Amino acid sequence: MKLIEAYIYEVTRRLPEKLREDIALELRSTIEDMLPEHFSEDEVKEALLKLGDPARLAASYRDTPMHVIGPKVYDAYIWTMKMIVPWAILITILVHVVETIVLFSGEESILSVVIKSIGIIIANIIHVLIQTFFWVTIVFIFIERIGLAKSNGAITKYGTEWTPEQLKHVHVISKKKLIPRSEVIFGLAWTAIWIVLYFNADRLAGVYRSINGDGLQMVMPALNQSVLLSYLPIVLPIALLEIGLALFKWKERQWTMKLVTINAVMKVVSLIVFIVIASNPALINEAMIPYLANVLEINSSSVQNFTDWAVWTIIATIIVTVAIEIYDSYRKAKA
Amino acid sequence: MEPLMESFTTELRRGTLTLAVLSQLRTPQYGYSLVQRLEKAGVTIEQSTLYPLLRRLEKQELLTSNWDTTESRPRKYYVISEYGSDIYEQLKKEWETMTAELKTLLEGDENDETD
Repeated sequence: MKLIEAYIYEVTRRLPEKLREDIALELRSTIEDMLPEHFSEDEVKEALLKLGDPARLAASYRDTPMHVIGPKVYDAYIWTMKMIVPWAILITILVHVVETIVLFSGEESILSVVIKSIGIIIANIIHVLIQTFFWVTIVFIFIERIGLAKSNGAITKYGTEWTPEQLKHVHVISKKKLIPRSEVIFGLAWTAIWIVLYFNADRLAGVYRSINGDGLQMVMPALNQSVLLSYLPIVLPIALLEIGLALFKWKERQWTMKLVTINAVMKVVSLIVFIVIASNPALINEAMIPYLANVLEINSSSVQNFTDWAVWTIIATIIVTVAIEIYDSYRKAKA
Repeated sequence: MEPLMESFTTELRRGTLTLAVLSQLRTPQYGYSLVQRLEKAGVTIEQSTLYPLLRRLEKQELLTSNWDTTESRPRKYYVISEYGSDIYEQLKKEWETMTAELKTLLEGDENDETD
């Protein structure tokens, strides 16, 4: 008798309050119907085994679905996740990189800052992913249980049931022309990083020396921040255009001739601006050359030659990279 | 029975359960008496499927129920409603057409083999 009570309890505790009494009564009379007049414990066990796992029995009495995200919204759910997750990761990385650069005081060595940052970024990404996963899932559980109670069809990423009309929004993209999402995201991250570097160059780029074995510290900025900032009216529009271009790439998802042209023009303009800024002799902090000459025990003109050589090597490398990138995008658009 | 075969059979049987249950409820039946009637006719049905099914059909107004407390043990009797009878007749017709169609298909298959 105890087993029967326990079984009924195990079923009914999983059911809504208003159903419990009725189902308990029916279950009890059913179980008793299954048993002979004088029954043994083994016979009770046999009867209960026929009814099966109380959790499953309770589940078949309930109308609510036995899944969290059902087949109706699964597709929309996965699509939403795929859209949100890369952005969540990108923003997490950017926020931390920008914060670190802005707050960088030069007191700690760059290497230890970088190592520490990587640790913090990984921890933050895990945290953000858990949060994203949690909230998106919560929203979809609501959609599943409330929004879809009456509709029979599955919800697509457009938020409605599927119709052939939706095919008009589908871009068939050949794999050869595809611009990977990751490429766009890295492009945006790069834009953000160089903007921050631009505004903080005097605190980041310079001569670092180990003082009292205390790790590397900056003793002399390499660049003249006020000269650098005087180019702001050109640099800022370029930054904005670069962000705009990245968003355009995100939308288009493939290389077209139009996109290749815009991209090439953008790249060439930025390159020219970069060359103009880099070749301005006032850009290099004038105190640095005598300082380096003193430290390295060579004359100032050798140092000057060396910095010139370094600047032009960087420019040449960038020209080659830009040329390769433009050719590559052209090749993909033609494919 | 191998698992794949079992899942096919369960799937095949699932659709017929409602029909089988409705057919037996022209006279009031309580849960266990219904199980016995179905088993006698060779229809095996998991009890854990049957009782929830009865409630669902009641909720959909195909069945009505009432408690009989006059006997030593209270029993819940289910009987088909007027609406349920309508549905049952329609379902029955569907079933008959379907089996006839399928029979043609399956016999065609046999003829092909013997040819």
